[in-house]
Amino acid sequence: MTSIDTLAAPGGRRAEARSISSRIWRLAFASVEFRIGLIVFAVLLFAALLYPELSGIDPTKMNIRAKMTPPLFMGEDWSWAHPLGTDQLGRDMLARSLVGLRYSILIGVTTTVLMLAVGALIGLVAGYYGKSIDTVLMRLTDAQLSIPMIILAITILGVSRPTIPSIILVLGLAGWPVYARVMRSTIMAERKKEYVRGAMVLGATDFRIMVLLLLPLVLPPMAFVAVLDVARMMIFESVLGFLGLGVQPPTPTFGNIIADGRKYLLNAWWIATMPGIFLCLTLTSINLMGASLERARNTIYGGA
Amino acid sequence: MDGTNTATPLLEVSGLSVGAVTPEGTTPILEDVSFSLRPREILSVIGESGAGKTVLARTLASWLSDPLKVTGGTIRFRGTDLVNDTAAARKLAGREIAYVGGNPAGALDPTMTVGAQLVEKLRAVRPEVSGAAAKQKAIELLDAVRIPSAAQRFHEYPFQYSGGMMQRVMIVDALISDPALLIADNITQPLDVTVAAQILKLMRDLTGRFDTAVLFICSSLPVACDASDEVLVLNKGRVVERQTPEALVASPQHAYTSQLIRELPKLWDTAAAAPKEERGEARPIMSVRGVAKHYTAKNRAQGGTSVVQAVRNVEFDVFQGDNFGLVGESGCGKSSLMRLLTGLERPDAGTILFEGEDIGSARPARIRELRRKFQLVLQDPYGSLPPQKSIGAILEEPLKIHRIGDRKERRERARSVMSEVGLPEALYEELPNGLSAGQRQRLNVARAMTLEPRLLIMDETLSALDQTEQHKMLDLFERLQAQHGFTYIFISHDLAMVRRVCSRIAVMYLGETVEVAPNDRLFFDPGHPYSRALLSAAPTLEERRYDPKDCLLEGEPPSPIDLPPGCAFASRCPQAFDRCRGENPGLTARGGRALAACFLNPRRGEDAPSMTTPETTHA
Repeated sequence: MTSIDTLAAPGGRRAEARSISSRIWRLAFASVEFRIGLIVFAVLLFAALLYPELSGIDPTKMNIRAKMTPPLFMGEDWSWAHPLGTDQLGRDMLARSLVGLRYSILIGVTTTVLMLAVGALIGLVAGYYGKSIDTVLMRLTDAQLSIPMIILAITILGVSRPTIPSIILVLGLAGWPVYARVMRSTIMAERKKEYVRGAMVLGATDFRIMVLLLLPLVLPPMAFVAVLDVARMMIFESVLGFLGLGVQPPTPTFGNIIADGRKYLLNAWWIATMPGIFLCLTLTSINLMGASLERARNTIYGGA
Repeated sequence: MDGTNTATPLLEVSGLSVGAVTPEGTTPILEDVSFSLRPREILSVIGESGAGKTVLARTLASWLSDPLKVTGGTIRFRGTDLVNDTAAARKLAGREIAYVGGNPAGALDPTMTVGAQLVEKLRAVRPEVSGAAAKQKAIELLDAVRIPSAAQRFHEYPFQYSGGMMQRVMIVDALISDPALLIADNITQPLDVTVAAQILKLMRDLTGRFDTAVLFICSSLPVACDASDEVLVLNKGRVVERQTPEALVASPQHAYTSQLIRELPKLWDTAAAAPKEERGEARPIMSVRGVAKHYTAKNRAQGGTSVVQAVRNVEFDVFQGDNFGLVGESGCGKSSLMRLLTGLERPDAGTILFEGEDIGSARPARIRELRRKFQLVLQDPYGSLPPQKSIGAILEEPLKIHRIGDRKERRERARSVMSEVGLPEALYEELPNGLSAGQRQRLNVARAMTLEPRLLIMDETLSALDQTEQHKMLDLFERLQAQHGFTYIFISHDLAMVRRVCSRIAVMYLGETVEVAPNDRLFFDPGHPYSRALLSAAPTLEERRYDPKDCLLEGEPPSPIDLPPGCAFASRCPQAFDRCRGENPGLTARGGRALAACFLNPRRGEDAPSMTTPETTHA
């Protein structure tokens, strides 16, 4: 009943001639949350990419005389030269945080994309074909799941020198099984539905059904979860950095900034706090966009 | 029954209005509905989908959910006002007023045994009943609804029950608290005709035994007339008339009712000519010979595996430009056969020739090419369309699969089939969400048509639609056939539909084709006792040619896991004799292009059993 109403909704006629995906994007873009998220994220991204170079401030340049300068308007000896203050060695916190953010986003996003791709692919194949293929792939997943992430990280990163690719690899390796499992069970449920049989009778190949029919259907909800995982991966990167297994100093990352700042929490709280604030801003902006996109999808598809 | 039953009404509904109340305003669903119901009375409520039947049922069961609200009128149940006294209404619902819905599989808890659920229900309503007494009562009732060996079945889980048995369990679930009023909402719709006939018979017995009044909601006029003392016709939320079935059929008062009766397909109407076989060139487009398929199922109860013979000894020919019908009850192997015919699965034995090529043994790539020429239209108008794709994309998909045309050509083709099946072209970029079941089936047909196939297999395509909508679809099929020369195979359990459109019909029972005959021959001179039983159970307003008392089947078909050695139907056949239990008759010609698998038919070159019917040659 309700669906008929939406079809006949007055005023919506002109907009409905557009393709469905463009309708979703338009609807998402129309929401305030999406715009706020987009602006904050864009500002952060550009700042992280451009500020350290454009401002000419070297995040590794020490200045012992200006050490532990508080951020603007905090304490007594703040200065415009260091808007977010300096650390225990007098390095500019704004530049350091933005460089840290650069690595954090790089690692967070690449890792998530990697594990989503691997997990979704394995889950898709296992769920679609079932039987022995499913058994083999799922035992592989179980085996991977049984190795704790931290142990894996210590083994791999502790033996070799941690580099950005190796960190991405370790985090991605630890994360994919969850996606494989979710994907497999969703595909198994979808695969039995009549429209899949319908596509087979039309003559669609397995590849076509998997990639063009099922994947677009089940990937968006999973990608939405993956957005949350970007946050988790950024935090894991910090954890690795904190343990000394992340990107090595002097390259500033959130992990080693926090690890260093921990010792000065009482007299220079801002050192350990700044990465947290940037992390928080980044994740909130990503989530705002993700949430309004998801809402737009639900509105357009109306539960279909 | 009117004269004998003068008891005070059990239920009195007067001026009842129900509407969907939203901030934008109130959309009326039911308007000014008034009727009364006495104990032991069965009142049918019929009307097309969207007439408000289910809303009425739920209002009476105090089961309205937002945005639906009672906007006026009263419902008095033994004098208690159910509309205003919601506390009393809640107390009565489930105790005195019981509701049975049409989806038994969804209503039973799969994790509990059937017995435990029944006992739990009774003791929730009547805490004073002891566990042992509750069990006793549940078994008694299961027995009353003819669940075989009820005491053992009590301990089984819902998945071990067939659809018909689950529906009967739901009736027990409703009756166990001794309700005064039973609301049966479309309970026979998902069931096969022979099982539905059993349930209706049962319902009648029960009203006599337990003094229950029944409100029987139904969308099929013949079933409603069969089942009830009086029929209430609901149209667009209003009661348009109430009469006894005989009076209703003889002199309908309202235009809607007369239209309903006029459109009702007739089974034995000789005036309207049955579709004849048109065989200018007797070349079969599809030819099925000795096809068999088994599945191995894990036997969870006893361990090990068991072999399910889903399809065996299936033989028939479908001729070019013809309408072929395939009928049988659920579990008879129709769906398995459909999978074989469409090349989704391969038969263990036998051949399926499509235009001279064996689908059963063709290479996968070849089957894919052949798919351009035969298409399947599925049953479920909701599940068979890919979600989150626009109507245009759905229609262009088959062309993309077979790499036909460029973007523009595909778009044009999609638009042209849309207009052919009667979907407005403006819907091209729309999602199918807003479409009705009938429109969705049109879309399904349109999708199958885009490839311009030769053969269309309709797997219960019309069973989810109401009578009016079915009518329109059949007209559409006819028009398309005339324009494109399609050949149709209708897989269906609806005999009336098959009678109207098919020229040649195969009857399936337990995976076998037990009879293949031209339309008239099957309906007027069936060659198999099972066909006769099916015909006797078909819901119709006409005078029955076959008395259900003589032919109606008791019990359920045997499980396809342990098939009896002889004729599969022997265990339920009223005419079975010794030979039937030891030997499978197999399809044999009985003249006039009719074949049947029964020893009772005289056959050439063999000793005919002492039967008097001479072999008739049929026009």
